[in-house]
Amino acid sequence: MSREVTSIYFAGIDLGSTMTKVVIIDDSEKVLGSVVQHTGAEHRRLANRVMEEALQEARVSIADIAYVIATGYGRINVPFADKQITELTCHARGVAYFFPKARTAIDIGGQDAKVLKIKDGKLIDFVMSDKCAAGTGRFLEVIAHALGLGLEDLGPLSLKSRRKVPISNICTVFAQQEVINHLSAGVALEDVVAGLHDAIAGRVARMARRLKVEPEVVFTGGVAKNVGVVKALEENLGCPVLIPSDPLLSGAIGAALIARQTVLKAQAEGKFVPVTGRKLEEASFFK
Amino acid sequence: MAYYLGVDIGSGASKGVLMADTSTVAIYSLRTGVNYRLAAEKLRTELLAAAQVKAEDVAGTIATGQGAGMVDYADGQAADIRCCARGMNSIFPQVRTIIDVEGQSTQVMRVSGTGQVINFVISEKCASGAGRFLEIIGNVLQIPLEEIGALSLKSNNPVVFTTACAVFGESEAVSRVAEGVSKEDILAGVHKALADKIASLVDRVGMEPECGICGGGALNAGLVEWVQRRLGIKLLVPPQPQLVTALGAAIFARETRKDSLS
Repeated sequence: MSREVTSIYFAGIDLGSTMTKVVIIDDSEKVLGSVVQHTGAEHRRLANRVMEEALQEARVSIADIAYVIATGYGRINVPFADKQITELTCHARGVAYFFPKARTAIDIGGQDAKVLKIKDGKLIDFVMSDKCAAGTGRFLEVIAHALGLGLEDLGPLSLKSRRKVPISNICTVFAQQEVINHLSAGVALEDVVAGLHDAIAGRVARMARRLKVEPEVVFTGGVAKNVGVVKALEENLGCPVLIPSDPLLSGAIGAALIARQTVLKAQAEGKFVPVTGRKLEEASFFK
Repeated sequence: MAYYLGVDIGSGASKGVLMADTSTVAIYSLRTGVNYRLAAEKLRTELLAAAQVKAEDVAGTIATGQGAGMVDYADGQAADIRCCARGMNSIFPQVRTIIDVEGQSTQVMRVSGTGQVINFVISEKCASGAGRFLEIIGNVLQIPLEEIGALSLKSNNPVVFTTACAVFGESEAVSRVAEGVSKEDILAGVHKALADKIASLVDRVGMEPECGICGGGALNAGLVEWVQRRLGIKLLVPPQPQLVTALGAAIFARETRKDSLS
């Protein structure tokens, strides 16, 4: 017996290097549940657990999910996914969901940074940097750790700065040493942290200019939660940036939206065969 | 007796050589720490005490290294590359290509028979091209710096690092440990990665025999061996490779003094 169109749901899961995100939507694109958790070493087991939590939040059973798209760096490790799609495509789609007029999307994650050119919700060009920790969230993570600060402390602290100190080293390892030298020379902590934010924003802004920055500019990824980097990025780009209500979720939402679109299109063509009895297998990474 | 002092204030360690005319009478090194000026003062105090020489008997001092400007008692400064070339030339007159592996940078230079620099390349933007990369991975494995080189040579199956970044490399090493890969194989992998980087610098500058290696990195016999394997040649290694640049500075102090007297 086929189900009513109104009772089908779609899921997107974005398995990133640092965080794993799941979003469940209904067929009117309404978000019913979303979960964000740290990505550990055991991707497959984690994917199952995060999905289960999102299902509980959405009050939906796995059997009611019509289609699941996995994206992100660990996307092949999602046992229950119907399809894998690159994070660039999903990001572009997710950003357009939050900001339909977006033309440029800057995403700074835990292990890479990317700039996307978007038109009508579709990716038309991109640049990315994933060879080196500089210009990624890892840069801030390493240095915050060395200073005994939490990542969430950095943004508010840097806003107190009145004279940010330039950080001349690109390499995270050397910048960490430079920061310690500045602090022992008596430079205020907030001025050093503001300098770090400027360093990462400057690096990403230079990358963005290779694609020509067009408004509206949207900033996503975990680093977009840092108000200091947001401010530094606006200064470096010379224009305001828009931040989604949850900047981590754009990839997962994009994946869920593409899942919905895939099913609706197949249904319209009379080709859709619903998956029945989908299960979350307890899979181990080390089997 | 005239004394000459060469001091090399590096980012990690500060090194000094005190010469009485043409022979070395005292050497000293210490962790630079965050106060370069203080390190430079302590270096001189220790060298003079060791040789029982008074400060006024030092006829000339040349400072080099990243903190050269902080050496208040120096008569002049010289670029570390020039000092390194001069120091190596005084030990090995036949050396024409020099690999200098420091904590924060690696430089490769071509030198003349008189120790003058003809051409050089530096890798200094990235920790993965310097001794620091080895230090970081040694730290992950909790193996002291002095032991990592020898251990790395015991590996038959070096790990391949997929990243050229020391920070991402650290994460890779952690993952390999979790997977049960041996410390020897991980260490061999990181030494090999650094040796590859050094070899590419040598290629860029153009190798002319004989080739020598110095700097703190050359204290690591394992690294020297990996570089030798990679380049397919034997390298000249001075007995105290970390002091070569300071030695060159001391020689410049003597030569400058001689020039101004004549």
